[in-house]
Amino acid sequence: MNMLQYRYDGTFPGFLSAVFELWDRGQQPAAIIPPDAAPGLFERIMDVPTVNEHADRVWKGIEKAGGKRLCQRFMHVFLSREPDVEGLMLFILKQLFDLKKNVANDLSLNEVLRFTQLERKVLREVHRLYMFLRFEQAADGTWFTPVSPKYDILPMTLNHFKSRFADQSWLIYDTERKYGYFYDTKTVEEVTIENSSFDMETGSLQKNVQSPDEQQWQEMWRTFFKSIAIKERTNPRLQRQFMPKRFWKHLTEKKLDE
Amino acid sequence: MDKFEKLKILASAAKYDVSCATSGSQRENSGGLGSAVSAGICHSFADDGRCISLLKVLFTNQCIYDCAYCINRRTNDIPRAAFTPEELVDITINFYRRNYIEGLFLSSGVMRNPDFTMARLTKVVKDLRQVHRFNGYIHLKAIPGADDALIREAGLYADRMSVNIEIPSEENLKYLAPEKDYGSVLKPMNLINETQQEYLPARRTACNTPRFVPAGQSTQLIIGATPDTDNQVLHLASSLYNENRLKRVYYSGYIHTNTADSRLPAVDVPPLRRENRLYQADWLMRFYEFKVDEIIDESNPDLDLELDPKLAYALRHPELFPVDVQRADLHLLLRVPGIGPKSARLILSARRYGHVSSYLLKKMGVVLKRARFFITCRELTGRKAPDYQPNHLRMMFLDKSARKLTPDAVQLKLF
Repeated sequence: MNMLQYRYDGTFPGFLSAVFELWDRGQQPAAIIPPDAAPGLFERIMDVPTVNEHADRVWKGIEKAGGKRLCQRFMHVFLSREPDVEGLMLFILKQLFDLKKNVANDLSLNEVLRFTQLERKVLREVHRLYMFLRFEQAADGTWFTPVSPKYDILPMTLNHFKSRFADQSWLIYDTERKYGYFYDTKTVEEVTIENSSFDMETGSLQKNVQSPDEQQWQEMWRTFFKSIAIKERTNPRLQRQFMPKRFWKHLTEKKLDE
Repeated sequence: MDKFEKLKILASAAKYDVSCATSGSQRENSGGLGSAVSAGICHSFADDGRCISLLKVLFTNQCIYDCAYCINRRTNDIPRAAFTPEELVDITINFYRRNYIEGLFLSSGVMRNPDFTMARLTKVVKDLRQVHRFNGYIHLKAIPGADDALIREAGLYADRMSVNIEIPSEENLKYLAPEKDYGSVLKPMNLINETQQEYLPARRTACNTPRFVPAGQSTQLIIGATPDTDNQVLHLASSLYNENRLKRVYYSGYIHTNTADSRLPAVDVPPLRRENRLYQADWLMRFYEFKVDEIIDESNPDLDLELDPKLAYALRHPELFPVDVQRADLHLLLRVPGIGPKSARLILSARRYGHVSSYLLKKMGVVLKRARFFITCRELTGRKAPDYQPNHLRMMFLDKSARKLTPDAVQLKLF
């Protein structure tokens, strides 16, 4: 028999809807594939529309069987968008729903180990955003920053920035995925920018829309950055290991070196 | 003198202080600016590869003391500067708002007298906390000789405080810095420790009790400026951890900045490898349940530079091995070279479900090329550590670790 492939729209609720469909139809050998997957020659493909109600039921089902933490883990792993991620998640869901067994902590299973590692990768990227994000102040007082994380994790960082920069209005924009979040010192909302007044490559604000003393503070930071290094211990390799080059284009202290 | 010039001078003057941790303190944003995350966040990495998480500066590099090892000693002919509290607060807030830093690391040379200096430092952190409602991380130096009341006040605003011991034995400290002794350094350290203990019981019953130095204390020891052995260094560190309840001891390889003074050794490069071995030993004490006497003793007063201290321990104690990964407790797993605290805990949790294979060990991050000699695991056959002559085993590991330490020197680069 041909394997049936459920194709979802690439969103997390879409994935959960596909899971719903898969169980609803009874399980033949089946897989869930993202919209951009190359179709196999002999598989049958079925496009699954995203139904929020279905997604909710699956979400609640996971929470009931495995707890809230497991729900979160699924979301984190999903965000990695690695090619095998749907398969891994389906494997754990099958054990959870059919055998009533939560295997998500059994590291002796290859799939679970990979699942755990993917989650760690995603969470590391979140932490790196905490580390390497740099705000610039615009002339109207808003703090702006472009980011381009490897995974689509911007929403996961909002609580951190909201609590940390509670009294300043900021805009964090994902230049890869072309959306961002704006915080007006009370609430955060999603925004997209059409006519950008920032550099498309690095995301830097053009000088005429920066606040008057922005350049001065950036220069201060570069001065500090240079002065704090010990010449006798110079170690560019170690520096790159901790601060990979892909972040440099957004870093005030590094983007001029590039 | 403008802010740029001051920042340049006072950051360069502070760079030999290696501490920059921002962990161990959770501070919610209670209105105002900033928060502290208990895991700590680094924000950048300097050209020497060290992390930058705090605005690390001196309040002033003017100093009344003349410690031979210190770049800011009074007889050194360097440009001097001092911030005003307002300038420092301004820079901290502006850096923080741009997410450059996690907070402030404030140290200082001793200007006029210890009380005067400590009062200035306290004013900066008090302004940050109370006037600007700053909730970021603050690491503050306690100035030895300052009034107890000042230090006790400063501790209410700081997350971490530190007093640097610098020289690992008292006689050598007196030799290089005749104006100082251990008593004066340990006094503020003990004061902070005791005050912390005073605040603790109240904190347990009422969570609105003010926090006193919630992230604890740290100190720094300079390595290689004096003939002190690793045995002395590590025993001092161990007693600081156990008796003075320090959170961290930092080791700083001596950099030969004072070339005019014949009391100091003329070293071309800082003793980086020795520093690395000391940190490894330090980690063994803090995360691997090792006691200092198990790592080092009088008979071999210095660590083996060619071999990491954990491997060296394993080679000295062949009778402990091989360890059965399916049964051994955490304490014993932690002694196996190639197994770290993370993988040891992963092993514990994985084996509740079944057999832990060597493939799985590898996936967990166990370094099998080292661990294979020290563990039994169903399909990992082959000779184990006790079957070898200790010297033979040492030579086998030596080549590998020597290669690992100096990749540039040994491996030719392709590009």
